Amino acid sequence: METQTPALSSQIDQLRIEALSAIAEASDALALKEARVRYLGKTGSVSLLSEGMRALSKEERPVMGKLLNDLRTAVTAALDEKETALTAQADEAALSVIDASLPGTAPEAGSLHPLTLLVDRAVQIFRRLGFAIADGPDMETEWHCFDALNTPADHPARNEQDTFYLSDGRLLRTHTSSIQIRTMVANPPPIRIIAPGAAYRRDEVDATHLAQFTQMEGLYVAPGVSLADLKGTIEFFFRELFGTGTEIRFRPHFFPFTEPSYEIDLRTEALGGKWMELAGCGMVDPAVFEEVNKKRGDNAYDPEKVSGFAFGFGLDRLAMNLTGVSDIRMLSENDLRFLSRFTP
Amino acid sequence: MKISLSWLRDYLRTEKPVAEIARILTDAGLEVGSIESTGVAIPKVVAAQILESIQHPNADRLSVCKVDDGSGTPRQIVCGAKNYKVGDKVPLAQPGAVMPGDFKIKVGKLRGVESEGMMCSSKELGLGEGADGLLILPSETAIGTPLSELFPAEEVFEIEITPNRPDWLGHVGVAREAAAFGCGELITKDPELPVTKENASVAAIAAPDAASFYSIRRIDGVKIGPSPEWLRKRLESVGLRSINNIVDITNFVMFETAQPLHAFDAGKVDGALTVRFANEGEAFTALDGKEYKLTAHDLVIADAKGSQAIAGITGGVESGVSETTTSILLESALFEPTVIRRSSRALGISTDSSYRFERGVDAQGSLAASARAAALIVELAGGIPSAELVIAGSLPTPRVVALRGDRVRSLLGIDLDDDSIAILLTKLGLKKIASEADLGFQIPSWRNDLTREVDLIEEVARLHGINSITAKCAGIPAHSSDADKAYDFACGLRRRLSGGGFHEARSGTLTGSRDQEAFSTGGVIAVRNPMGEEHSTLRASLIPGLLEAVSRNLRHGTDSIRLFEIGKVYQQEQPEESIRLGLVMTGRTAPENWRGKEDGERSLDLYDLKGVIQLLGTRLEPITFRAKTHASLPLALEILIAGKPAGILGVLSPSATRELMVGGHQGQIVVAELDLHALQITNGIGFSKDPKQHSSLHKFPAVRRDLALLMDAATSYSVIEQAVLGAREELLSAVTPFDVFSDSEGVKVPLGKKSLAIALTFLHPERTLTTEEVNEAVTRIVARLREAAGAEVRG
Repeated sequence: METQTPALSSQIDQLRIEALSAIAEASDALALKEARVRYLGKTGSVSLLSEGMRALSKEERPVMGKLLNDLRTAVTAALDEKETALTAQADEAALSVIDASLPGTAPEAGSLHPLTLLVDRAVQIFRRLGFAIADGPDMETEWHCFDALNTPADHPARNEQDTFYLSDGRLLRTHTSSIQIRTMVANPPPIRIIAPGAAYRRDEVDATHLAQFTQMEGLYVAPGVSLADLKGTIEFFFRELFGTGTEIRFRPHFFPFTEPSYEIDLRTEALGGKWMELAGCGMVDPAVFEEVNKKRGDNAYDPEKVSGFAFGFGLDRLAMNLTGVSDIRMLSENDLRFLSRFTP
Repeated sequence: MKISLSWLRDYLRTEKPVAEIARILTDAGLEVGSIESTGVAIPKVVAAQILESIQHPNADRLSVCKVDDGSGTPRQIVCGAKNYKVGDKVPLAQPGAVMPGDFKIKVGKLRGVESEGMMCSSKELGLGEGADGLLILPSETAIGTPLSELFPAEEVFEIEITPNRPDWLGHVGVAREAAAFGCGELITKDPELPVTKENASVAAIAAPDAASFYSIRRIDGVKIGPSPEWLRKRLESVGLRSINNIVDITNFVMFETAQPLHAFDAGKVDGALTVRFANEGEAFTALDGKEYKLTAHDLVIADAKGSQAIAGITGGVESGVSETTTSILLESALFEPTVIRRSSRALGISTDSSYRFERGVDAQGSLAASARAAALIVELAGGIPSAELVIAGSLPTPRVVALRGDRVRSLLGIDLDDDSIAILLTKLGLKKIASEADLGFQIPSWRNDLTREVDLIEEVARLHGINSITAKCAGIPAHSSDADKAYDFACGLRRRLSGGGFHEARSGTLTGSRDQEAFSTGGVIAVRNPMGEEHSTLRASLIPGLLEAVSRNLRHGTDSIRLFEIGKVYQQEQPEESIRLGLVMTGRTAPENWRGKEDGERSLDLYDLKGVIQLLGTRLEPITFRAKTHASLPLALEILIAGKPAGILGVLSPSATRELMVGGHQGQIVVAELDLHALQITNGIGFSKDPKQHSSLHKFPAVRRDLALLMDAATSYSVIEQAVLGAREELLSAVTPFDVFSDSEGVKVPLGKKSLAIALTFLHPERTLTTEEVNEAVTRIVARLREAAGAEVRG
């Protein structure tokens, strides 16, 4: 019985040396796994040594038990440590083969048209002020485009030569102001709308003129609307669009459908720091309300009870200025070298 | 409209600089578009005579001159020009002169030789390009005369006159406005008016609705000849050509008072001049020699022989003033604007006269204009005017317009008392009429545009100035409309597509008819008066515009193209106008990169665009397709949304592709177009109509079984899919193809056959599937595939 203890203890020492050296030599995860099975597995060397415990005396068992336990702990720690080291080594190797200086790869990026971006910026600003969008047909009647807007057939401001006509007598709207009429005929006040859309003019196309242009129309009709509201709304819009430092000038003008009427000039760094004529606006002429009432067959737009303002501006020339192109036709030529500059 | 500043100064006393006058006019509503300066306004530039000229000692190209500028001592000037000779008189800029471009003349040395000034070319003086070298002045020019006297400075404003303000079509009207806006003092020169009397044997009105007033003044003993220098210059400054003294005077008075006048040769007028409508078909030869056929809508001035003038538009050649004229009949009248406008348009004649009459002239001013012209004719052409002015009709009585102070305050959003309002309006020549309740104003005769209360409110706004109004920015918010929803849907779609590599295109509405007819489905709409065939038709499809963009981009060397457009199309059938999404793609699937083929780089084809369109559908309302024959797309599929036709997808024919292709570009051009409204409706369903649809995420694992099938090469996938789905296996939740191939060598797959691999996914919502039940289902599907599609499972 006495001989058992030293024999087992020397076996433990020997196994410890062998296991730790095998673990140290394991060069990859597979070799390490094998070592773990060989020493700590169900039929591994450490487990086999533990079998020898049964032959020991009651006094020897705790001593040998502790030695065996120490061995198991030491081997486990060595295995874990080695595993961590090998993983770190493999991780490092996995990334070190990558040449990070190669350019990135991505699917092709698309773009949004600059006019879309501009229209959307304008729409979002007016929505902050509680405006809703309205629309109407491009193919319009003379009544909606001219007569209802206080521009009867013999009015000097009505120029049929500049208008595209269809064979049925309708026309391509010369301004988006016809949407004002459509909206008021269909809905009672209050009205608070903007209407982005196309308008047409029978003009020779050149670097600064298109026969088709993009406009933004606005209309607010409610009790007690005043010129002060128009001024504030226009100023808010353009300063929101171009920055609070934007200078805005209202120049008295004439439009048949508003009175008083103004043209709006703007000066801002974003547009090159020069005065630029940008928009028209005014208080809705009572004659327009009267025409709308006639069409509606009621007196919903009684000029004594409601008043309103309207405004309109072209977006093409603005887009031209903001994108720095010198030829307005660029906006409709769909050249990808130009379009791809405008990411959404 | 050109307004000469010196002419304006005849009626406006002002010390303000030119730029300030322009600003005030612009603020008043007379937009000064440009200021054109002519003449020389530079002090210290005088006429000088060249006394001698010798070669510069240090420079081949320069000379050293001695010139006499009238100062007593000859000056030494170094000069580079060659076009003069000794004795010539030239402009000399003396030290201290500031030339255009802020170039200051100083005494200085040029290549070592002192120069006391600069001899000038016409370009250096701002007198235009002129000939090269020095401006050689006429030999009679007095030495020392300032150039500003030889070439008087003149500024001409180009002003945009709005159609509501015909009174601004004359210098007096502009002066009046400038004075009202604080730009100086109006100089009034009311001419003495002659006695008026009616005499139907001289002047009569037979069309009282078209002419309310007509006047004729006879002036005998006139001598027709050229106009004096000052008159010619005045007319030239506003863009008119001098003709003879009489015609020039009528034009001059028109540009001064805005009242058009006409002079008849009295010797060629037979009997009374009568204002009447023309006889239908009446021939008339105008002053410009052109012949017109008149209608009963054209107003004329006729004598016993026939029409002598088209009222308010143009005179006739027969009774026009000529070199032999000795007596004239000077007409000043009021014609109805709409009558003149209709005639002017119908006959295609627009003159300075018709331009003013169709906007309306100053009723009371017509008498003053006539008197002013008569006085000038006496002065410049001799002649004795008759003491009396023969008139027909009558001048209108002044109009009174009521104005409520409260209305002014509420519409303008200002706090201005009634007295202040009255003071403002008085500046414009309105006269306050005493009244208990309201303000009432008598309107001056030159303001035909002021007829309603709101017209007066506009004047208050203009004079008070919008700058004095405190801005407000509030209002009743509007609920979002259907148009808002459509806008948001379109915007969301735009963002998705641009995120997917598509660039947004925008093309015009007006296109060529040939392109449109190929893709239209509901009949194209043409413009009656197009600007050329290429812009004659409203687009019925977005595809032609996108193909044009493809062609243009290929020409520019861009060969991978993905474009979309969201825009309106137009057709004869209902709906006449609708919004569509158009798509086109050609080129590579991905930008070229160093991964090469590993990255799946290949040519775009039908399936790529089909996939993009399928992604636009929703889980509950997938987009489906069916075969379609299309005239321009030999390979075409109809796009179905909610089972209804909503668009087209196809590949352009090889011949059409070759036409668009340049530089040997390879590959398919794939196009699609679909109705946005149909898409928007189905996209609405995806969210929250039936919350249960979202709660049933599967809890139990799905089982996948792959089948490799061999079938005739001509068997389409849809037949296989139909066969699988037609078996109506309850557990089957999806069938997906994952590999298709055939072998032209007949090695891997026999010739005439193809191999198709499909994945079958089985699922039960409430339990895990057993191997047996899946095996049984697969067996049934395999049998079905054999019977219905002739497909065998590969061994």
